[in-house]
Amino acid sequence: MESVGTINPSTLSVKDLLWQIMWNKDKCTLCGQCTAVCPVRAIELGVHRKRTLQVPVGLEEKPSNLFSVYFGINQRTDVAHACVGCGMCNLVCPNGAIMPLRSDEIDKFRFHANQGGEPRRRGGRRNAPDSVLDKIKFVRISMLTDPALDAGRHEFELRTLLGRILPPEEMLKVSKENGWMPPIREIYPLIIGSMSFGALSPNMWEGLQMGVAYLNEELGMPVRICTGEGGCPSRLLKSRFLKYVILQIASGYFGWDEIIHNLPYMKEDPCAIEIKYGQGAKPGDGGLLMWYKVNKLIAAIRGVPQGVSLPSPPTHQTKYSIEEAVAKMIQSMYMAWGFRVPVYPKISATSTTLAVLNNLTRNHYAAGLAIDGEDGGTGAAYNVSMNHMGHPIASNLRDAYLNLVKLGKQNEIPLFAGGGIGKNGNLAANAAALIMLGASGVQTGKYIMQAAAGCLGSEADRCNVCNIGVCPKGITSQDSRLDRRLDPEKVAQRIVDVYLNFDTELKKIFAPLGRSTSLPIGMSDALGIDDAAAAERLNIKYVL
Amino acid sequence: MVKKGTIKIAGQEHGIRVESRVLEEEIQQAVTKGYRHIEVAAYGQHGIGGRLWRGGDAQIKVDVTGSSGQRLGSMGFANTMIEVFGPASDDVGWLNAGALIIVRGNATNGVANAMAQGKVYIDGDIGARGMTMTKHNPRFEPPELWVFGKAGDSFAEFMAGGVAVVCGVGSENEKDVLGYRPCVGMVGGKIFFRGSQSSYSVHDARLITDLPKEEWSWLKINLKKFLQAIGKEYLFEDLVEKRQEWKLLSALKPHEKKERSIRKMNVFRLDAWERELGSGGLIGDLVSVDRSPIGLITSGELRRFVPIWANEKYLPPCQAHCPTGIPVQKRWELIRKGKMQEAVNLALEYTPFPATVCGYLCPNLCMQNCSRQTVNLPAVDITILGKASLEAKEPKPHPATGKKVAVIGGGAAGLSVAWQLWMKGHDAVIYEGRKQLGGKITETIPQSRIPDEIVAHEIKRLAKNVHHIHLNASLTKEKFGKLKNEFDFIVIASGAAKPRKINVRGIDKALAALDFLRQSKLNCIKVGKKVVVIGAGNVGCDAATEAFRLGAKSVTLIDVQQPASFGVERRHAETAGAKFLWPCFTKAITAKGVELTDGEVLPADTVIVAVGDVPDLSFLPDDVATKKGFIVVNEYFKTNDDQIFAIGDAVKPGLLTDAIGAGRIAARAINDLLKGSHETYDQLLPIDFNRIKTEYFDARIKSFSDLVSCATNCASCGACRDCGMCESICPQNAISRKTLEGENFEYVVDEELCIGCGFCAGTCPTGVWEIVENAPLE
Repeated sequence: MESVGTINPSTLSVKDLLWQIMWNKDKCTLCGQCTAVCPVRAIELGVHRKRTLQVPVGLEEKPSNLFSVYFGINQRTDVAHACVGCGMCNLVCPNGAIMPLRSDEIDKFRFHANQGGEPRRRGGRRNAPDSVLDKIKFVRISMLTDPALDAGRHEFELRTLLGRILPPEEMLKVSKENGWMPPIREIYPLIIGSMSFGALSPNMWEGLQMGVAYLNEELGMPVRICTGEGGCPSRLLKSRFLKYVILQIASGYFGWDEIIHNLPYMKEDPCAIEIKYGQGAKPGDGGLLMWYKVNKLIAAIRGVPQGVSLPSPPTHQTKYSIEEAVAKMIQSMYMAWGFRVPVYPKISATSTTLAVLNNLTRNHYAAGLAIDGEDGGTGAAYNVSMNHMGHPIASNLRDAYLNLVKLGKQNEIPLFAGGGIGKNGNLAANAAALIMLGASGVQTGKYIMQAAAGCLGSEADRCNVCNIGVCPKGITSQDSRLDRRLDPEKVAQRIVDVYLNFDTELKKIFAPLGRSTSLPIGMSDALGIDDAAAAERLNIKYVL
Repeated sequence: MVKKGTIKIAGQEHGIRVESRVLEEEIQQAVTKGYRHIEVAAYGQHGIGGRLWRGGDAQIKVDVTGSSGQRLGSMGFANTMIEVFGPASDDVGWLNAGALIIVRGNATNGVANAMAQGKVYIDGDIGARGMTMTKHNPRFEPPELWVFGKAGDSFAEFMAGGVAVVCGVGSENEKDVLGYRPCVGMVGGKIFFRGSQSSYSVHDARLITDLPKEEWSWLKINLKKFLQAIGKEYLFEDLVEKRQEWKLLSALKPHEKKERSIRKMNVFRLDAWERELGSGGLIGDLVSVDRSPIGLITSGELRRFVPIWANEKYLPPCQAHCPTGIPVQKRWELIRKGKMQEAVNLALEYTPFPATVCGYLCPNLCMQNCSRQTVNLPAVDITILGKASLEAKEPKPHPATGKKVAVIGGGAAGLSVAWQLWMKGHDAVIYEGRKQLGGKITETIPQSRIPDEIVAHEIKRLAKNVHHIHLNASLTKEKFGKLKNEFDFIVIASGAAKPRKINVRGIDKALAALDFLRQSKLNCIKVGKKVVVIGAGNVGCDAATEAFRLGAKSVTLIDVQQPASFGVERRHAETAGAKFLWPCFTKAITAKGVELTDGEVLPADTVIVAVGDVPDLSFLPDDVATKKGFIVVNEYFKTNDDQIFAIGDAVKPGLLTDAIGAGRIAARAINDLLKGSHETYDQLLPIDFNRIKTEYFDARIKSFSDLVSCATNCASCGACRDCGMCESICPQNAISRKTLEGENFEYVVDEELCIGCGFCAGTCPTGVWEIVENAPLE
């Protein structure tokens, strides 16, 4: 029998939680919207007993007690229902009577979010707000030294190349011999990183695709988006919009038989094929789409039965070495589209990146290398993988680029960097920094979710419930009661806003550097940082 | 003093170019001296003709021959007219503040840059970035730039005012008479041009192809002046012959700029996206359900959570913990409804001893587990209701079936099963070895715990209905065998009355506790002044209490471990003055008393051993399985012999209520077998305490005096008390009470109104409302 005051080791109080609900009785109108909207049922209406002692003035009579009952919002404190701080209660409250506040100390919740011995899993990002990229400044401003450009007035060619560029002598040789010339795409340098149909809700996915199509067709911006591993709806495969899409293949191969079946009906080639070997947010770990997310729609697109869990293992089973991965995987993906579509691998940033890169430089089929840093996001991962595994992108990308420079191949094999770009909202500055450190382009996912769909996640461990299918904004849920909250058209519009804004901001960075007609890839003399160790490590200027 | 005549200023002296500074000084001096016509033979000097304010209002004419340098007429004043007889270099009219500048030839880049007033006439083409950053100061007339030919690239960038006219003569076949990307950043002014222009900054300017009347007339009037100034008046008619050749670009106003001239996303979705993909977009072919946007607060099938009125779908903790299975809460409910007699009577359907056991002898597990206890409120007092049940009216039995069941033992278990079988219409025949029914209740439990007349009343009530009772019936294996043939079933309820012995010297000097209690109850035993009870369980406590009653001065209970006794038995013993000692290991019982293994001797005149009892199963057929002296049964109390059931202490030592409950379950199973059917009994789970809201009750009530106050304060766990709280709290007014047949009712939810907030569950005192996830959509 459990009675009041009995506790168990995981009994928590509101004070012990990371997020604490502040509720104002005076403002509350008991409308029920906060409890109806809470994604994790962290709050409920409670009954409270109120005792008022009525003391007559002068004590001429005996004091009396008045008991009454009132109702108010209670915060549940069990681990399964701990508030995630999303703040949806505050969003729906007509009176501003409720709001989650973050604990002023290290919470006790984290010590108990492992009930049954199961480590905490969550979606989101590392809980680490610092960013080297944010600290990088652009210190080389054209001041009468060379033509300063005007971001608002001049025309810019913010384009990059995805694909293998042969050295001139080889290109001549290939032309002369009528040999195979690797396909190259001229694309916008900000790519929407891989987020699968399944990890994202149908409305979110469609909104992103629609926005990308709009940017291409209405605004002439050759923006590309990667599908992530989860297949691709047949209608998109058969449409002209396929050319804006980078199809991803990963260790689960989900949806690939459906893609193959659609090959005969494709009127356009996809932009490229990305082979995923790793993900920055959870390097060396696989993915798992839980069975309850695998509804009829997801099942159809992924080509699996409904209601089964879909694991993407950490590794591709039949590949045991870089050589094999390159030889088998890249080649076979080229074959699918008659060697017309660039194929490149994506790896987690790691101290072994150079080994992969060196191998790719020796293989003409490698169209590039995407490197995903530790600050990347994910729909579901172990907390420990997210917080502690992986390599920061800046130094990893820099090493890779300088290695190419050493080989004289920096203009031949493009590097794409991802993971934490814009994590604190500085998308263009982070992207520009990476480009100047040597990236040909950048990939971003989280920023897009936040800006285009209002994702509530933050480095302060806010929300982060992507993994359990209850995304309050409908971004990562497969429950149409949630994902219909998101209007694809409005997501598309936000994508357009984001890109137009990014475009202007990027120009605002590049114009004062005097660059307009080509991206300043590797233009690291323009970079400075007020951290001597970082400056030395990245081989950029130390400024104070 | 104005001088007539012309002063000539040379830009070259002795074959050496005069510095721009010197030339400027000479021009300024000339003006100061009164010259109003200045002829400059320029040699690339900059800024000629500007800043001639010293001339006052009188007109100054500056003629420039030779090659003019940059910034001709920069910062020019309204009194100045500059005429260049040939081409001009960059930035003609830079920051012009009023001068009229005529260039009889082409001008290079930057013409009229930052011009604010005055006019610039170019009898030729101009280079890039003409008419950029020009202003219109409302204190003055707007500045004008007239170009006879065409303009270069980036024309009118950031133009903020003024008028530019580009006649396009000689460029009639060119694509862009205003060059590449004109009007970027233009915020004011207008540009007339003749000829074609393929693009301009649509974000900043608007193209008007059909010149409005007033614009056209302004253009004609001023074009004539321009042509006169450059000596080409003869072309006027040709140039204005085709009005449609002239077009106008005017700056968009700020509010006009906001409206992007790009396609609206909804239009794109319909006209491009869905046209290419098909209706419903990406997944239109894969889903059939509505996918239109919805709000955050939804109702009906779009609610995430649904309230269920789960009335009586969970057991209240009192009932769940009563081994007899008495629906305690239901009885309080009946009292709340004013059906006192029904409440009292209901007990007899579950036990023949509602007064004896519930009222006196039971530790009342129902109360121990009462939800109120969890929040430090006193449990509603079932003993009051138990005692009141003395007057309960027995239920009407089912019609007789003619089936016969032998019940071995007339204690609590045996009487319970016989009572239940009687209610179901079967003929239960009780075989009791002693001379009275009641087992422990009548034999060994001290009178201090239960008045004789209560037990007598309840046994009488039973015996009145269960007729076939054989007292003093001894049983052997042979007789048991006969019973098997005579009866459909046999239920062994013979208890555990054989004292367990401890293997110590002198044990024969000790009394077995049950024997002692049995005799003390009949007042036919005496005790010495000092009594030691070996075994400090509840039976030991009863023995201690009785020993005091019989005259003992001191009673010591010893045990090998912390005594397991509890409740009223322990309390009575302690009140009487019993001492408890542990751990004590008995070595021997001697004339002096109890000798412990550590050598200590506890003086005793009487020693009572209360270390438990085991069943006497000498009659049991060998093939009925036992374990450690007890009969082995399944969950329905059936032994491995399908005809034999066993209940009570013969199976496992327990409480009276355990024995009574076992009798009820065994009777139910036998009834099922006899009827050849297997009824399903609701296997309801106990309700979660957290669902019960006890805050509605007065926290200061610490005990109950009567049945009504008990009933009122019963939280009615899991059973709707029809208080209407849910109806009132529902913010959507979605819950209503529906009257059903008879006294029945239910609370129903209008799902089109309900938003799934869970307020009903949050406030329901009884925890009836349950919030469940809505069924998954497609």
